[in-house]
Amino acid sequence: MAYLIQRLLSMAVTLFLISIITFTVTNILPGDVAMMIMGTQSNPEALENLRQSLGLNDPWIFQYGRWIIGMLTGDWGNSLLFKMPIGPILLQKMTASGLIVLLSMTIALTLAVPLGVWSAVFKNRWQDTASSSASILGVSLPDFFWGIMLILLFARALGWFPSSGFVHPNEDFLLALKHAFLPSLALGLGLMAHLTRMTRATMTGILSQEFIRVARAKGLAEKTVVWQYGLANAVGPVMTVAGLQMGYLFGSIIVMESLFNYTGMGWLTYQALLNRDIPLIQATVFVIAAVVMLVNLLVDLLYPIFDPRIRLK
Amino acid sequence: MSILKRFLNFKGLTGMTLVILVVLIAIFAPLIIPPEYATRMDMRARLVPPNLNHWLGTDQLGRDLFYRVMLGARTSINIATSAVLMSLIIGLPLGLISGYFGGRTDNILMRLVDTLLSFPALLLALTISAVLGPNLQNTILAIGIAFTPYLARLIRGEALRVSQMPYVEAARSAGATNTRLIVGHVLPNIMPVVIVQATISLAFAILAEAGLSFLGLGTQPPEASWGLMIQASRDYLDRAPWTALVPGTAVALTVLGLNMFGDVLRDVLDPRSRS
Repeated sequence: MAYLIQRLLSMAVTLFLISIITFTVTNILPGDVAMMIMGTQSNPEALENLRQSLGLNDPWIFQYGRWIIGMLTGDWGNSLLFKMPIGPILLQKMTASGLIVLLSMTIALTLAVPLGVWSAVFKNRWQDTASSSASILGVSLPDFFWGIMLILLFARALGWFPSSGFVHPNEDFLLALKHAFLPSLALGLGLMAHLTRMTRATMTGILSQEFIRVARAKGLAEKTVVWQYGLANAVGPVMTVAGLQMGYLFGSIIVMESLFNYTGMGWLTYQALLNRDIPLIQATVFVIAAVVMLVNLLVDLLYPIFDPRIRLK
Repeated sequence: MSILKRFLNFKGLTGMTLVILVVLIAIFAPLIIPPEYATRMDMRARLVPPNLNHWLGTDQLGRDLFYRVMLGARTSINIATSAVLMSLIIGLPLGLISGYFGGRTDNILMRLVDTLLSFPALLLALTISAVLGPNLQNTILAIGIAFTPYLARLIRGEALRVSQMPYVEAARSAGATNTRLIVGHVLPNIMPVVIVQATISLAFAILAEAGLSFLGLGTQPPEASWGLMIQASRDYLDRAPWTALVPGTAVALTVLGLNMFGDVLRDVLDPRSRS
């Protein structure tokens, strides 16, 4: 419990720092919100009046204060691009991206864990070479390149999956999955390569330990030794790395959602950046950083479930 | 001699060959091929498949893809190297000071680094590039800043480990100053890890540049850059898949080479990872 409180306090400090960095970086933007609303050709006097009424002439500490209080009380301001309140937009886009993130993580883990274990069991034999080569190739290709290849194969040539667009899961769950599948597969393949390498390294270390030798010596089937004794010890480290990859994933969805015209958080962030929609940039960047941090906290808190030897202090 | 020998396996040789090849192309292609070849348009030869005249085919504006991919090598290598150098110049002192002195300095610096790590590297780079306006210098700056926290964190851990070694303790009792200890004892002993990480960071920087340019927030046209070439190919995938395959393969081979080279370098330089 004390550990949880300590972690939550530390999280609050990090969130505060995240908000400061987000606010500072976005406020270096040339041209301000008033200019965005009225256009560059507008009358300087009217522009100045709008600045005054929006509080853009106040010291930045006041501006920051207003922004952060708004964020905390649920008033996230209006998007200049979409001319709508930001809160509801973000909520809808998070659902879309949540689907992709979950799906790609599932694809990556179901492929990477068996492959990594297999690689470790057959260390330095052809099976290992094959799987290691495949994963180093996977790490080396840009994920949007995977995306383009998947579009060519599954959307254009075979016509199995749509190559662009987003359908909300509440409308038609199967169609939603179909739209999310190709971007998730493209993200999952890159992710899989990282996780396979990690699983292999962890399992190699575990399989050379004493307790594995004991398990083999007392006559347990190799299957039990590897998949129960070995893998049980690898789950913790692999989950931690999977959690850390969340950051990578939330960066990659910007490219992938833009490629597939999949209107989620990544797509929204990109639109905000391209159109210099400052309130929207601040909100998306802040939310993504906060989500990445929360996921990692969650992995840390769940760690003792995977590995009972670890007690949270 | 024995160190050289450890490079001589399939992975090491392939990695080294690929890296050397790309670096040679980046250096010499602009000296041999006139730069205007990359931007010369030929409207009568648009989206031509690879043939004897155009070895790798042409793009939607009739520009020769062989020249573009060759000249694009310099852009990619230039940006990746400068960005990684920049993150080293900031991250190395930060990590060294944090790991060596520990205590409050370490707490404050690492809190900052951890916060920066909550921002996905690509998101940070994209935001910086959008804020400053996309061009070559700002692309370098954006990738450099985005990579700094990762390097600083790693270097801090290594510096912390090395500063507790008996030989550092011995030098300290012999009266060596902090500066001398850091520069003379800690730094040389973390260099292997730094070199390996820098090599692997180069691979990530190439991918990041391609991603940024793909989104239009990196290198700007008409400059030849691999990411830009892939972006331009998007609308012509059905009719001219080679316009995507050519730059995609260039990125893949370069990153593959750097990753393989980095892996072998780690085996050679980092004694703890030897099996």
